Amino acid sequence: MKLILSELQKFIPDFKKKPEQLRDDLTMIGHFTNFFEEIDGEIVFDLDIKVNRGDCLGYYGLARDLSVFYNIPLQNLSSTIDNLKSNYSLPIQINTSNVKRVMAVKICHLKNSSSPKWIQTFLKCHGLKSINTLVDITNYIMLLYGIPNHAFDTSKSTDKLIWEMNSKFKEFVSLDGSKLILDNKILMINNPNKTLSLSFWGGEACAIDLNTTDTIIELAIYDRTTVRQNSRQLKAVTEASIRLEKDLDPELIPTAFNHLTNLILKNCGGQISSEIFDYYPDKQEIPAIEFDSQKPSLISGIDIPKDFTIDCLTRLDCQINNNLITPPSLRKDITIEADLIEEVIRFWGYQKIPIHQPLTFKKVTDITPKEIYLIENIKDKLVQLGYDEVLTWPLVTTPINKKTVVKTQNSINSEAIYLRQSLVPSLIQQLDQYNRFKLPNPQFFEIGKVFFQEGDKYIEKNALGIYNHNLDQLRRDVLQNVSNNDTKIIFNNNFAEIILDDLEKPNEYIPKQHQNTAIELTSQIVTLDANITLDYKEDPIKLIEKYSQIIGSKNLWKLIITDIYQDSKTNKYRYTFQASYFNLDAKTAKSIHLKAFDLI
Amino acid sequence: MNQNLETIKIQSEQEISAVKNLEEIEIIRIKYLGRNGILNDFFSAITNEEKKQYGSDFSLVKGLISLSIVEKKLELSNTQTKNIKKETKNITSLPKIGHLHPITQTERQLNEVFRKLGFSVYNSPEIVTDKFNFARLNVPVEHPARDMQDSIYIKEPEYLLRTQTSTIEAYLLAQKNKDLPLRTAFAGSVYRNEKVNRSNHFVFHQYQAVVVDKNITIKDLIGTMDLMFKTLYGSKVVVRYRAKYYPEVQPGVGPDMQCFNCHGKGCPLCKYAGWIEMGGSGMIHPKVLEMAGIDTKIWSGFAFGMGLDRWTMAQKNIKDIRTLMGGNLAYKPNEL
Repeated sequence: MKLILSELQKFIPDFKKKPEQLRDDLTMIGHFTNFFEEIDGEIVFDLDIKVNRGDCLGYYGLARDLSVFYNIPLQNLSSTIDNLKSNYSLPIQINTSNVKRVMAVKICHLKNSSSPKWIQTFLKCHGLKSINTLVDITNYIMLLYGIPNHAFDTSKSTDKLIWEMNSKFKEFVSLDGSKLILDNKILMINNPNKTLSLSFWGGEACAIDLNTTDTIIELAIYDRTTVRQNSRQLKAVTEASIRLEKDLDPELIPTAFNHLTNLILKNCGGQISSEIFDYYPDKQEIPAIEFDSQKPSLISGIDIPKDFTIDCLTRLDCQINNNLITPPSLRKDITIEADLIEEVIRFWGYQKIPIHQPLTFKKVTDITPKEIYLIENIKDKLVQLGYDEVLTWPLVTTPINKKTVVKTQNSINSEAIYLRQSLVPSLIQQLDQYNRFKLPNPQFFEIGKVFFQEGDKYIEKNALGIYNHNLDQLRRDVLQNVSNNDTKIIFNNNFAEIILDDLEKPNEYIPKQHQNTAIELTSQIVTLDANITLDYKEDPIKLIEKYSQIIGSKNLWKLIITDIYQDSKTNKYRYTFQASYFNLDAKTAKSIHLKAFDLI
Repeated sequence: MNQNLETIKIQSEQEISAVKNLEEIEIIRIKYLGRNGILNDFFSAITNEEKKQYGSDFSLVKGLISLSIVEKKLELSNTQTKNIKKETKNITSLPKIGHLHPITQTERQLNEVFRKLGFSVYNSPEIVTDKFNFARLNVPVEHPARDMQDSIYIKEPEYLLRTQTSTIEAYLLAQKNKDLPLRTAFAGSVYRNEKVNRSNHFVFHQYQAVVVDKNITIKDLIGTMDLMFKTLYGSKVVVRYRAKYYPEVQPGVGPDMQCFNCHGKGCPLCKYAGWIEMGGSGMIHPKVLEMAGIDTKIWSGFAFGMGLDRWTMAQKNIKDIRTLMGGNLAYKPNEL
């Protein structure tokens, strides 16, 4: 959501803070503001609006929040419509219960044109294209109040607009020419002969153009679930659908409608040529919420004065009747006491809550599942033995047993649609990768879930998969450290797998803390040899440490001495080193190597 | 062959074969082949006539002894090198050490923080029902919050792979609603229907802590979260706490960490906000507790969760999220 500072100030003219302050304040009260920038001389903010705050998908809702926060008045930019002289009743039909409220009126003899500069700039700041004055004003009002609206060219649509669930039309062509296939679940605005509009997207059939002189403008709010489903089904997301999927306030429609109508009359001329159509069959009573004014303090953990609480709720336009609070209709997100508590705390300020008072120790029942102790214990044992832990994809390409495999229905990663039934295939891939990187003698393990389906049941088990290039060593390590019952272990070449759920579990275990390096390999390990000759015999470990320091740890993977030879004639000692380098190309590795061993 | 030469030859062979090192063979060489050695002594002691008679035998024995000594030297030389090699093989590299995956390391680091506060660890299935992944977390069918998470379904709409660790919270509250108070922390794999690329993965890791007790406050929540962040990022980390929406909490609290790259000035890493969102938290929504059968007149609680992958990547300088679950994550075999 974009927010132009000057446009916001029309609603709260007393707002005088700097943009930086507004950015931080918006964020602190729940409207995360990424940044602000200057576009054509306007300061424009970029905000993330919470999904439960449909009212803040327009300037009006945000301005109301800020007027409460800064305790400054909110300006009403709308005014009643003058010259309502026509007694022509629009022949509009509403044939579906998915319409919550519609207001509409016909304006004739208007003169459409390209938009004035201020609207063009406004739309540009919002990333929208200017079309013509009439269309741009409808978009402007949508962004101002968060309520989508539409203008029909009545020379194309006729006045007989019908809101209905589609029953006879197969196709809809949108304003941008997209052709959408319809079914009977789509909420439409039609006339008896053709489709005119979706609930959230205007149609080409009645598009406003520069020749338009007569129009019906309408503002409507629908059942949001229907709009959401239609948008998903048609794979069409518009600025209107984003708003109509939210819980919008039908009570705000007259304000936005009046503003829209007056703005069209002001900028396009024309005259009101019908009565105002207002369909609002099911006006909802807003239930009062029982509220304890001590609760904001009790929940926040800090003292929030009762006076502030009452003042805050009053500024939010809540009706207060002793301990019963009726929230304003605009605030569809306030339905229970906790919602009111949040309002009070966020306007009081989260930054006033101390950050240095964590919970202190308290003895409560240990509910840790014993298999977690077992898993942690095995991990520590294997690490102690020199094994590295890896994690692999739980989704795999190929099932082991088609009868018991669990298959995903909609994974967009077409190469991985089955949940693994064994860790070994994934570990084989891991080994393959290590081999591609020429990693010398890897030995590694994974503890993770394996999945099976038995009838309608999905079964998950904790499994250990382990690899060692030395099979005898692997057998010893597993039998001595995981389970001495080899009937439970499946040995598969140099891999072993065991279901951990079947093993005896410890009653408790405190895992060891490790802080070790991990490397993201980007190229093959490069291994090079070097000889050095010394007049004396030296401790090989000291030599390894010495040359490790010379080479530096940044790209040194491993350094070993593979041979020591004493020349009988000279009595000198020759040490043969093998150095492995990572994330270097061969040429760079060689250059470092030669320099380190003084071989240049 | 002269009897004495034959004796010398046999004796030298015995002695050479018994030699154990190069120093001894040199002594043998001098003993038999030296200027004052046994062979020269023998040759000096015989007559000219005998020299003519046994000259060739003398040369033969001398040659054989020389050859035996050279062969023995060679053998000893090799043996000694082998011995050194054998000795060296055990000591020429630092011992191989094993490693925990960085995600596990972070998980353990956090578990340790919470263990000291009396927390248990918990877990639940990864294939879950819609009820526990959404409904029990105050996200009913068609709630717009569902758009925040693209689910991977096993059997739509009932079974899916859990999309968040809050799902573990839903199981926890349902399964342990008679074991109150609760202090629990857990890490878990979670799944979203994302294309795998450098920045996104269909499986990633979250960490969550849940407390249900009497008189729990936002101050407890923020203080405990701050302790966690300071454990992970150090005592100088700057974190702000602000209003944030999550359907399963009310009031919701959003922790943002001041961008470590620009220190709040704004940069591409933090999308010029100066702050990085660190997860979500809040007081457990009364509806969530009620759905679990927990009396909200007595009990309240908090929950907070954060992703582990991005933090771990930053800590280990890993640029590609795929590395965390791919074959190019590796560990140095020993501490260099």
